[in-house]
Amino acid sequence: MTDHFLILFVISSLRLTLPLLMAALGGYFSEKSGVAQIALEAFLLAGAFSAASLAVYTSSLGLTLVGAFLTAALLAQIFLVLVLIFNVNSIIAGTGLNLLAMGLIPIISKGLFDSTGSTPSHTLTDVWVWWPYAMGLTALGLVIFLSERTVWGLQFKFSGEKKEALQALGISPKIRQWQAISLGAGLTGLGGAVLSISMASSYSPLMSAGRGFIALAAVIFGGWSIYRVTAACFLFGAIEALQIQAQSIEWVQQRIPHIYFQLTPYILTLLALWFYKGRSKAPTELA
Amino acid sequence: MKKSALIGLSVGLFLSCMLAFFFGENPLKVLKILTLGFATSRYEMGLTLYYTTCFIFSGLAFSIPLRAGLFHIGAEGQILFSGFVAGAFSMTYPTSSLFLVFFMTLLSSVVWATVIAFFKIFRQAHEVVVAIMLNYILSILTTYLTVQYFQNPNSQNPETALLSSSLELVSIDPLKKYFEGSPVSVFFIVAILTALTVYIFEKYTVKGLQLKAFGANPIAGRRIGLSDLKMYSFVMIAAGVMTGLIGLTEVFGNANQFKVGFSPQIGFIGIAVSILARQNPLGIIASAFLFACLHKGASDLDIESEFLTRDFSKVVQALIIFSVASAFFLAPQVENYFRNRKTIKSNPSEAAK
Repeated sequence: MTDHFLILFVISSLRLTLPLLMAALGGYFSEKSGVAQIALEAFLLAGAFSAASLAVYTSSLGLTLVGAFLTAALLAQIFLVLVLIFNVNSIIAGTGLNLLAMGLIPIISKGLFDSTGSTPSHTLTDVWVWWPYAMGLTALGLVIFLSERTVWGLQFKFSGEKKEALQALGISPKIRQWQAISLGAGLTGLGGAVLSISMASSYSPLMSAGRGFIALAAVIFGGWSIYRVTAACFLFGAIEALQIQAQSIEWVQQRIPHIYFQLTPYILTLLALWFYKGRSKAPTELA
Repeated sequence: MKKSALIGLSVGLFLSCMLAFFFGENPLKVLKILTLGFATSRYEMGLTLYYTTCFIFSGLAFSIPLRAGLFHIGAEGQILFSGFVAGAFSMTYPTSSLFLVFFMTLLSSVVWATVIAFFKIFRQAHEVVVAIMLNYILSILTTYLTVQYFQNPNSQNPETALLSSSLELVSIDPLKKYFEGSPVSVFFIVAILTALTVYIFEKYTVKGLQLKAFGANPIAGRRIGLSDLKMYSFVMIAAGVMTGLIGLTEVFGNANQFKVGFSPQIGFIGIAVSILARQNPLGIIASAFLFACLHKGASDLDIESEFLTRDFSKVVQALIIFSVASAFFLAPQVENYFRNRKTIKSNPSEAAK
């Protein structure tokens, strides 16, 4: 193994970690505030699509990112109205939201670009190339600061652990959940923007490729603790990078089929669930 | 179906029509394509009944575990795996008996369903998370195994070889002849009978009532001696049989082989089917037929409408899920509101108390 290989590997695993990390931060906010979140895929897709189409129209990175954040957060409002006001089960609402995103995006794309497939490629190529890394770091710092160092962070976590305690203070747990999940969905949308702006030059159908669910796996594998969730994201990103790098090395290709790399995040999560002895680490009011 | 489900359904369809109107289509025309597309020919009817068969099974696969309080969203992976086992097993042992193949297929999906149950029973892991992981694992695994070891030598598509003539059921299927060789098969009748059996089981047997009691209050259930082990493994084995039957329906009733990606997310549509029917097995037959019509009609949208494509069916499904699920919460509240207002009008002093 040469230095060259190692550098490529580190860079590509960082690259692949970013969307995963953003989505996992979104999942962390939601799960920690007590609402099970399986709609991360929908937020990623919404973010990716809105970013790609805004990039075509405005060719401004700032507007694109704001648009991706707002679109995903807006989509989350549907989920929140259903779950927090109409008492719909969060798994059912999440399934519906995934369907909605997958169904609506091709139709809107046809209306905007006359194609149900990919959007036209954007011209956002001459921007600062390290912006996704800067954004990822900022988001991670912000989330750690918010959840570990502020009163608000303690309160939204309590809405997932013991609602009554929060109510006794005169704070509505639903409002904390509302804020946390909207913020989380927005961050996930930014992760989608990384997918369609930085890692590709357009939106292609279902480009998140199950990353929303791998991010959920990372949240669970990390035992709902922000530091371990981050570590899990880096691990899963590295596995994905290893899979891509391994394809170019004949020795590995002959001995290890690529399916092992594909399956690892899911199998690791199942093993973690089996050996953690379950609920002890999950937020108590997670439903 | 109860009143609130019907209200939710109409609201969902109304919202879909409004959306179609927003996209510049004639909403009534879209509604007509979506709901009446099945009645154009016997073949189309057969296709709709084939979807109905799958959706009845997947609806039951979601509703039975929910009786005991489990959210079983792992049907999709089990469907793929059981279809794969049906195709691969009959390819490896072309002379084995039909009974053995059926048994192996059902067993394969039951095994994965019980894996979910075991995680829940012994590790208190959330069943939804385990199911999502298994869905991905099984989907990757079946594709890989099919392409690597069981590929049909006469085809470029990822699929297993056609069934040997001793195992083939399609050519002697009585329903197929009537519906002009469409995908419907005798499994449609099996599905109806299964739903009826589940209805009777849930309503009239001790075990069925125990499940209901356990689902409503697990703590009270444990007090009267219903263990997690018994209840959860029972419902998950039943759910596994249902998903296995979908694999059989596809391989022995329609394609004669296992094709990678044959399922248009049957497992997830089952969730919607079951919610609309409110877990009532007889309601599931009706709501499976409705979703089959929508699914079949959606593929006509590509040809018959100018703007909307088959993706619109996903939007309609999502809107129906949303409005039906909220209707269960809203309908009693609206009813209470009107009842209270009536009391206030007729007897103000009574209402003040």
